[in-house]
Amino acid sequence: MNSVFNNLVIYNGYPISIAAAITFHILILVALIWVQSNNRIDSLELVQPTIVKALFIDENPQVRNRETLERQRLERLDEQRLAREAEQRRQQEEAQRQAAAEQQRQEQVRAQEREQSALLERQALERQRALEAQRNRERLQSEQEQQRQRDLAEAERRRQVEAVDRQRQQEATSAAALEAARTEFELVQSATALIQQALQQVWNRPPSARNGMRVILRIRMLPTGELLDATITQSSGDPAFDRSAENAVYSASPFTELRSLPIKVFNANFRALSLIFQPEDLLN
Amino acid sequence: MNDDLSILELVLNASPAVQFVFLILTLLSIVSWVIIVQRWLVLSSARKGVLSFEHRFWSGMDLSQLYKEGNRMQQDNMQIVGMENIFRAGFKEFMRLRQQGSVDAEAVMEGSQRAMRVAYSREEEKLESHLTFLATVGSVSPYIGLFGTVIGIMNSFLGLATQAQATLQVVAPGISEALLATAMGLFAAIPAVVAYNRYSALLDMITSAYITFTDEFSSILHRQVHSS
Repeated sequence: MNSVFNNLVIYNGYPISIAAAITFHILILVALIWVQSNNRIDSLELVQPTIVKALFIDENPQVRNRETLERQRLERLDEQRLAREAEQRRQQEEAQRQAAAEQQRQEQVRAQEREQSALLERQALERQRALEAQRNRERLQSEQEQQRQRDLAEAERRRQVEAVDRQRQQEATSAAALEAARTEFELVQSATALIQQALQQVWNRPPSARNGMRVILRIRMLPTGELLDATITQSSGDPAFDRSAENAVYSASPFTELRSLPIKVFNANFRALSLIFQPEDLLN
Repeated sequence: MNDDLSILELVLNASPAVQFVFLILTLLSIVSWVIIVQRWLVLSSARKGVLSFEHRFWSGMDLSQLYKEGNRMQQDNMQIVGMENIFRAGFKEFMRLRQQGSVDAEAVMEGSQRAMRVAYSREEEKLESHLTFLATVGSVSPYIGLFGTVIGIMNSFLGLATQAQATLQVVAPGISEALLATAMGLFAAIPAVVAYNRYSALLDMITSAYITFTDEFSSILHRQVHSS
């Protein structure tokens, strides 16, 4: 037994201990890498946090009225356009019918003339001069008639062209108005969304808040986005909840996003605003 | 980027300062393990030596014969450890002084005791060499790891400052790498501390056995001096 230890302790046992230490470290490294490569797949499953979002619905009566008006106006424009098209089609048909009737009449006239000439040939020559005079008169008449008809057609065509022009012009102006309305609507929408976002960030709901609670605030603002005042127009019944909504409005102000709005849009939509605060996502 | 984030890649992609810390900690860990294994061999052989020599010493064998046995072992190129060295030093001095004849009993005792004290302190020195290194590793390597962590986190936050959007993906690898430094520091420190405590207890046991043996042996010598 003594000799065994004596053999181990040659050079104070350093070679064997160095070998042991290095082997130990390499083993640990290999084990770590192996464990990691085994664990990698399932350790990366992310746990999605439950998102708590605060929603409030903006029901601005002005915006809503504006929307309905806009829709009505569009519908009216559509109707007008349809009516105009129908009228035009009817006019064209009328003109065609007139032209056809005229042609028929001319043919009849020509047939009469031929008959008359045949008759006249058979009749005496003395009446020929008078007849000729009459024929001349008739030709003159028919020419006049034709001229009148051509004039009529020309006038009709010009009237139609004018109508089309007028219609196109009207359409262009209405499209421009529509475009303006749409950009204004978009501006209002984006500003409303920004206000919503700002309010959502600062709205701290009290623990007494419940789903279905609803408080309506009426706020007045300056064009700089500063808040003049906020009054509760319809309470939720819970003073803490009402106060939290009020606090949110005050701490979110000034709404600097509103400064970039044209003053006309601001006056029409944001000078006075009704805000509805309503939590929808609470657990209880 | 998260998909193949292994420890090896973390280490390889770390910043130079943190890599330096990793290197130091790895070396410290390896060296401390070398010492742990080597001390274990030395201390356990010393303990075994104590037991076996005590057994032989109290077996009623003649002291001069025991000494001669040791001479034979030395001739066979076997190491003589611990307690036997003390015995041999004391006995050699005792015999030499006795052979001179003119010396009185107290001087003989004093001389052999001095020789045994010298041999004892040499043996003790052999046993406790490098144990302080384990203590140092145990107390310092957590600080080194912490240093690496601080540097790593500092770097990752510096990197964060240049980003427009601060996402977790930007910071996470840096912090992970930084925490790895602390982990390595602890990994080096824990075995070192455990081994240091264990070995110093063992050392106390062995040295107290040596001291006891020295006293017993000198009392035997004392008896021999005064009986003759």
